[in-house]
Amino acid sequence: MLKFLKQVTDYTKEAVQAARYIGQGLSVTFDHMQRRPITVQYPYEKLIPSERFRGRIHFEFDKCIACEVCVRVCPINLPVVDWEFNKETKKKKLNHYSIDFGVCIFCGNCVEYCPTNCLSMTEEYDLCTYDRHELNFDNVALGRLPYKVTQDPMVQPMRELAYLPKGVLYPHGLPAGSRRAGKLPEEILEEAEENGAK
Amino acid sequence: MNSGIDLQGSFIQLLVDLGLPVEVARVAWLPLPMLLVLVGATLGVLVTTWLERKISAAAQQRIGPEFAGPLGMLIPIADGLKLLVKEDIIPAKADSLLFTLGPAIVVIPVFLSFLIVPFGQNLLITDLGIGVFLWISLSSIAPIGLLMAGYASNNKYSLLGGLRAAAQSISYEIPLALSVVAIVMMSNSLSTIDIVQQQSGYGILGWNVWRQPIGFLIFWIAALAECERLPFDLPEAEEELVAGYQTEYAGIKFGLFYLGSYVNLVLSSLFVSVLYLGGWNFIIPIESLASWLSISESTPWLQVLTGSLGIIMTLLKAYLLVFLAILLRWTLPRVRIDQLLDLGWKFLLPVSLVNLLLTAALKLTFPFAFGG
Repeated sequence: MLKFLKQVTDYTKEAVQAARYIGQGLSVTFDHMQRRPITVQYPYEKLIPSERFRGRIHFEFDKCIACEVCVRVCPINLPVVDWEFNKETKKKKLNHYSIDFGVCIFCGNCVEYCPTNCLSMTEEYDLCTYDRHELNFDNVALGRLPYKVTQDPMVQPMRELAYLPKGVLYPHGLPAGSRRAGKLPEEILEEAEENGAK
Repeated sequence: MNSGIDLQGSFIQLLVDLGLPVEVARVAWLPLPMLLVLVGATLGVLVTTWLERKISAAAQQRIGPEFAGPLGMLIPIADGLKLLVKEDIIPAKADSLLFTLGPAIVVIPVFLSFLIVPFGQNLLITDLGIGVFLWISLSSIAPIGLLMAGYASNNKYSLLGGLRAAAQSISYEIPLALSVVAIVMMSNSLSTIDIVQQQSGYGILGWNVWRQPIGFLIFWIAALAECERLPFDLPEAEEELVAGYQTEYAGIKFGLFYLGSYVNLVLSSLFVSVLYLGGWNFIIPIESLASWLSISESTPWLQVLTGSLGIIMTLLKAYLLVFLAILLRWTLPRVRIDQLLDLGWKFLLPVSLVNLLLTAALKLTFPFAFGG
């Protein structure tokens, strides 16, 4: 009999505990309702991509020496380098260069290994087309620079979480001069130089 | 006692004065309240889907719909129109008769149940003697439709979803009915009007929640399971069953399922507010307030006031519960099928039986408080 009573009390305790956990969970969700939306209203507001952002690749035609390192380091040999050997100057002459961004995975290996730095990553990420073949950029398209988010009058630039002041979680309505938490890269460099001088 | 403003009486009188026979005038009155409630229920669904989107968004720190009309209020209409205009597809190997019949059988009983939902003393379509029992019996027709839809779709996911829906509805109907029986025992009547009347007189203190807290919880859990709302939405668990019995449906037939589930949610919330939260009663008893201020009960403006206050209170309570259901949706994870049946048969059923016995015992010991 006692054992049965104990079972009943244990069961009741468990049920009460479960109900309390549910209440706790409900209070968490209820609390979320009064918080500010963290979403960025995309076409009107855009996040400022970070310095290390790996967006569409930019290509400078004149710097390229047609060495094809980018093709060799690419996981799928994606860049197409069309060159011919100029017998008079004994140099390769680049005719065309193209990368298909419908296939590119934006790993940045080509940018990393390019000996003349003619490849670089831009901030552009919204490559939308109605036909995937339009994503195959030739050297002219690759040479275009994207429009900066911070300079677009149609767009309100929003800072990413890592670029917000300490304790701030929402990028909306930041005061103009507010700086991000921690040191800026320039400051770290400056300090390192000072320490090196000592 | 003066019956006060009698819309039905004056309407019939008007038609009779215009030269119609009394019978025709009575028949002419009949569709009006039905149409009103039908439109009201549909509007309630539109509001509920909008609330669902907005509250879900708020709980996830999003904004939700905001461009379609003010605060995105036209979104439900856009939804409905889209579903109406879409092609109505019947899969080639489906049983087309059952496939078409399924959604109708799910939706019609839910709308029929609005027959007995009171919004005020005389503000309901019909005050049936069997009252809530009608709702319980009607709500057990829906699983047949779900099973039909699941079977006729000729799809294993649909069939599984339909079977789950049937199992869930049947097992949660019992605790639901038992907690209703406890209420019925206290008010000595199945009629929804009598149930609300028995709670009135003491304002918020007289509501059944205080006398039936366990019953209230059981009823709410079982009602959520009946509506297939989130902690219990196994029949349409998208991660496992695509969309359960709705998988093969498109266009307006899918829309009917969608409508049915939301009407069911509104209906269940209305029933919770009628059975446990004092229906149309205000927080303070308005009749005694009126007599204290020595205003006659049959004063027209007071009648209009109490009538509209009753409708507002009923809807307010119901929508508070809808809000709770939506909040629960984003709080609780889905239970497994075995956990669901465990909860239904091993927890809710015994607890609701104990609740019933306890109510009976309390009714015998304290007949003044528990409706002797």
